[in-house]
Amino acid sequence: MVLKLHGFPLSTCTRLVALICKEKDIPYELIAVDLMKGEHKSPAFKEHQPFGQVPYIDDDGFILYESRAICRYLINKYPNQGTLGLIPTGLQAEALFEQASSVECTNFATTAGPLMAEKVFKPRRGLQTDEARAAEYLAGLNAKLDAYDVILGKQRYLAGETVTLADLQHLPYGALVCYSGHADVFSSRPNVARWWNEISDRPTWNAVKNGA
Amino acid sequence: MVLQLYGFPTSTCTLRVAVVLKEKNVPFEFHMVDLTKGEHKAPAFVANQPFGQVPYIDDDGLILYESRAICRHIATKYASQGTALIPTDPKAYALFEQAASIETSNFDPFASGLAWELRFCMWFGGQTDEARAKTLRTSLAGKLDAYEVILGRQKYLAGNEVTLADLFHLPYGAIILDIGIDEFSSRPNVKRWWDAVTSRPTWQAVKDGIA
Repeated sequence: MVLKLHGFPLSTCTRLVALICKEKDIPYELIAVDLMKGEHKSPAFKEHQPFGQVPYIDDDGFILYESRAICRYLINKYPNQGTLGLIPTGLQAEALFEQASSVECTNFATTAGPLMAEKVFKPRRGLQTDEARAAEYLAGLNAKLDAYDVILGKQRYLAGETVTLADLQHLPYGALVCYSGHADVFSSRPNVARWWNEISDRPTWNAVKNGA
Repeated sequence: MVLQLYGFPTSTCTLRVAVVLKEKNVPFEFHMVDLTKGEHKAPAFVANQPFGQVPYIDDDGLILYESRAICRHIATKYASQGTALIPTDPKAYALFEQAASIETSNFDPFASGLAWELRFCMWFGGQTDEARAKTLRTSLAGKLDAYEVILGRQKYLAGNEVTLADLFHLPYGAIILDIGIDEFSSRPNVKRWWDAVTSRPTWQAVKDGIA
């Protein structure tokens, strides 16, 4: 049975999973969840995803949510097809991958995410941007990317010399940061700019960036 | 060479690593990084941890930071000793990754945000933003409602065995309780789970700080 991806075409987290499906040549069926109608908060949806968030997958009856966990599951399930090495093997390479993946969660997502909530998601819902808070998040993101520039001055990608899931995890919110007029957070830092251009140029990302 | 842990004795993320070292019976040498003197922002430190954060480890020359990554490394390297903390069966492992992600995206931002607003920001001359603290608490409560459902079906977050995902909650869960934010006790399944995880002798051994 084809993998079912329950999500929203433009949702950041849904597009991350779609990206990994493209990277790993995994066919999938997108089953649209109507966020506007609050479908993700319905009892039927919350049966599968108790937090009421998209996406979740149904892999032949196996239900899994949390986009990064879904990505890891798919990469591990299909180690020999599509892009190889998205999760490296070997104790040291794995450790450095986990470090990079954690950096995305704790240093990037925690600044870029709330910044996008203020600048993009709140206006879409008719709410007002808290400019002071947005400025705080932007300052935080800039500070984190200073550290990224040091790391990426020593190696091509976040976990080493080859692309991994840790790099790709940045794409959906990173693209939104650019869309919202803050592309300079990447372009103003030479190593970050090189890295960002490489990963955002991937044909797999371009295939899903405007809709999963 | 004995594993070297660089951190602060009571730092949440340092304790996250310490509890896993105990669970896996891995000896370590602790080096205090004096946060009060800004040692974590000094060039010598930042050379090893570019974000200027604690902790990091030196495992026989492998420098590793991000406490959850360090924990994963220890749990994997020492898989055959101490408590099994990462399942090996593919589906159980996937559910572990789901649980680990739940902690980072549905618990940590709110718990650590509350810890900042209600305690840590004062240490740096800041002031509690009461409105923000209230929003964070409401969000945390909503998330723990989902935890209550999950933990009504199974003993721990990833299934019926404890995993790293449960342990990852310890430091910030303990801090917010200490501050007086108790969103656990009113939720019977969450309370059961929290009591089980916090009563582990390994947590009891490190919760008040490591030397």
